[in-house]
Amino acid sequence: MKQWFLDLPGPMAAKIVIAVLVALVALVALFFVYDWIGSNLLDTGGTIE
Amino acid sequence: MAPSVRSLIMDDAATTKAEVSAAPSRGVAARVIRIIGWTSIIAGLLILGFVVQQLFVTTWFAEQHQEELAEEATTHFAEAEISEVAYTPPPPNEAADNVSGGGTVSSSTGGQALEGADPRTILVESEPDRGVAFAVIRIPKIEALEDGWAVVEGVGVRDLKNGAGHMPDTPLPGSPGNAVISGHRTTYGAPFHDVDVLGSGDIIEVDTALGTHTYKVRELKIVKPTDVWVTEPRDGAWLTLTTCHPKFSSRQRLIVFAELVDGPNYESIYA
Repeated sequence: MKQWFLDLPGPMAAKIVIAVLVALVALVALFFVYDWIGSNLLDTGGTIE
Repeated sequence: MAPSVRSLIMDDAATTKAEVSAAPSRGVAARVIRIIGWTSIIAGLLILGFVVQQLFVTTWFAEQHQEELAEEATTHFAEAEISEVAYTPPPPNEAADNVSGGGTVSSSTGGQALEGADPRTILVESEPDRGVAFAVIRIPKIEALEDGWAVVEGVGVRDLKNGAGHMPDTPLPGSPGNAVISGHRTTYGAPFHDVDVLGSGDIIEVDTALGTHTYKVRELKIVKPTDVWVTEPRDGAWLTLTTCHPKFSSRQRLIVFAELVDGPNYESIYA
């Protein structure tokens, strides 16, 4: 993780910005995955289909 | 006899050799343990995140939307077009099979009453747009629904993120037939979390643009998610609530059948 951060291009400020953006995208993607799993397995809303 | 200096040096050298040969295997074991440890920690955090997101974050969002939706429903009550239409109850032989369709509803200008049937009129409201909050459901026996929960039109994934939605191909609450409302049991505010405590005779109230429709619970059933018969039309005016069962699983559906006992259209439908 530390090495991945250090390998990011640009100066330290740019590395931090890129790392934060990557973390945000990963978090949003993770929430979409959670939402999909929840809506399909945990509680579909009780629809009859 | 005391060991000689030579033998001590030899012993020391042997020990160092053994340590050197054991080091790589200890290093591999430590690495494997470290990987297993980190994998377990990450998996645990992902599962914890899932639980928090599903049980608390979705509910927080749904509850935040409830205020907006309650206002939207109030606006809908004021703006919905209400008209009086002819209603012909189903003939007695159809009424017996209990799935005939709740009679015939037609516009007041073009309605055709069945021969020999008693022509009546009922109030109907304009169909709400998809995703719009058009009703409020209240169940006094359930604490979470004591003050009401907004119901939106539609039962798509997006619609139900607000908690409860009306199945579009079924009549609106208060109309003849079988109005179906689906709702989440454990996520997105879980409005139907405790519907399993309902019993025969318990009251369900639904506010719409027409007024307040009061239903009495008649029956609870557990069915498969594919049992579409529960949404089929019924004689009289019914409200069917559907939700997941058991809690934290979508394996089955818990169905609450309730029949209209009071409201703006009650007299016309059940006269």
